[in-house]
Amino acid sequence: MATIIEINEPKALEVKNFEFTYAKADAPSIKKLSMPIARHNITALIGPSGCGKTTLLRSFNRIHDLYPGNKYDGEIIFKDRNILTPKEDLIKLRIQIGMIFQKPTAFPMSIFDNVAYGMRLQGIKNKTELQGRVEKALQDAAIWKEVKDRLKHDANGLSGGQQQRLCIARAIAVEPEVLLFDEPTSALDPISTGGIEELVVELRDRVSIIIVTHNMQQAARVSDYTGFMYLGELIELGRTEELFVTPRERLTEEYITGKFG
Amino acid sequence: MTHTQKRILINNIVMFLSTLSAVIGIGFLLWILSVLVINGLDALSMIIFTNEGAPPGNDNGGLKHALIGQLMLVSYAALFGVPLGVLAGTYLSEYGLKSKLSETIRDISDIMMSAPSIVIGAFVYAIVVSPMGHFSGWAGSIALTIIMIPIILRTTDDMLQLVPSTLREAAFALGAPKYKVIIQIVYRGAKAGILTGVLLGVARVAGETAPLLFTSFNDNFLNMDMNQPMASLTVTMYNYATSPYEDWQKLGWAAAFILSMFILSLNIFGRLFLLKKKNK
Repeated sequence: MATIIEINEPKALEVKNFEFTYAKADAPSIKKLSMPIARHNITALIGPSGCGKTTLLRSFNRIHDLYPGNKYDGEIIFKDRNILTPKEDLIKLRIQIGMIFQKPTAFPMSIFDNVAYGMRLQGIKNKTELQGRVEKALQDAAIWKEVKDRLKHDANGLSGGQQQRLCIARAIAVEPEVLLFDEPTSALDPISTGGIEELVVELRDRVSIIIVTHNMQQAARVSDYTGFMYLGELIELGRTEELFVTPRERLTEEYITGKFG
Repeated sequence: MTHTQKRILINNIVMFLSTLSAVIGIGFLLWILSVLVINGLDALSMIIFTNEGAPPGNDNGGLKHALIGQLMLVSYAALFGVPLGVLAGTYLSEYGLKSKLSETIRDISDIMMSAPSIVIGAFVYAIVVSPMGHFSGWAGSIALTIIMIPIILRTTDDMLQLVPSTLREAAFALGAPKYKVIIQIVYRGAKAGILTGVLLGVARVAGETAPLLFTSFNDNFLNMDMNQPMASLTVTMYNYATSPYEDWQKLGWAAAFILSMFILSLNIFGRLFLLKKKNK
């Protein structure tokens, strides 16, 4: 049985008996998983490759829906509703729940247009408003100083770390309530990684964050809660400092001490 | 002979044979181009661009009718073929993907790309020329369109699939609807490649003769009515070059030269775009 601690603060999301099956797969990749996600906190998901942590993350904004045949069961509650129902408006959901990918995904356009992209999708055309919000997002993503003189330049000219911060700026510019990070630093060097980690911690006050990481030190450094997943199940969810120091499940202990992985 | 010596000998023989083959191939190409340039430049003059066809023995014959006819035939073909090809390629890459329907379309267009173009000409003869009762520029453009579509469709499909799926996901993750993802992100990422496909498709049909013989036929004078038979550089070239009159043969060289330079530059531009895209 899984050990899942009670969370006594407001919740951003609540996963209930969730199952996910990929198209053409016989067995579900995530099995009967229940998990609360605390609001305005950072929750890290760790576990060996193939444990389902990325699959779970990609369920929160239903990005799996882009590929036909995938199947959800159970519930994910967000703002008092189950977002897994067919009538869920995915465009609205994805504005409220943003995502940062493993590899930087700068669009083939200027730095300014990249950050303005999400706002323009929402119909914001006012130039002054766009300029103000683009600047603020870039400042919040700690990249404003580096790009302020070349906003019109192609975003693909930036370094990997800069592109990743640009993607974070683009995601927070539309003021989401939840941000999903899918191994955001695995393609970056240690210095860029440190920058992104600092940024994630700073964002916590305004947005709830879920971060999937292969790097246990990273989970320990940035997160408030950590969930350990194994073979499609949540084995343990606890406060990060407790989970890493005094894990309650044997599997968790073996994983964080490097006995398997 | 030791084992090593034998190996070096075989290596040298193979290298010699392949170099020789390459030199022969390139040699023929240069030979063709130089004969074309020498005879073509010799035949080139302002009259060619200002005058229409004239009877043999008259020094005033030009190619204006064929140049304009060619331009109209190819432009109309591009007008129909480019949007159809690009949209069909978009369907394959963005909507159909690996579905049975799209795999079938891909197979069929591969077959159509290698189909002899005279067959396409005969087909258009049967469905357009025969019911209308006469040759026409429209029939010619339709034949060229049919040849152009599979080329543009396949390059568009390939180029769109080269755009990383994470880029699409990132746009969807910001709440973009599918048509905006395709137009604003995917097309933008693949525009050099799509343009290359379009240029190569246009270049390919610009050199076609066989399908035009059956469809737009020919006219020795300027005609800009697409409902009537229409001159093209290729068919004019064929007629003039095979005629017994020296001045017509000269015009044939000029037509060949102009057409080759046009197609050559389209191809070079197309490949330059592709190169730029790959280096990125």
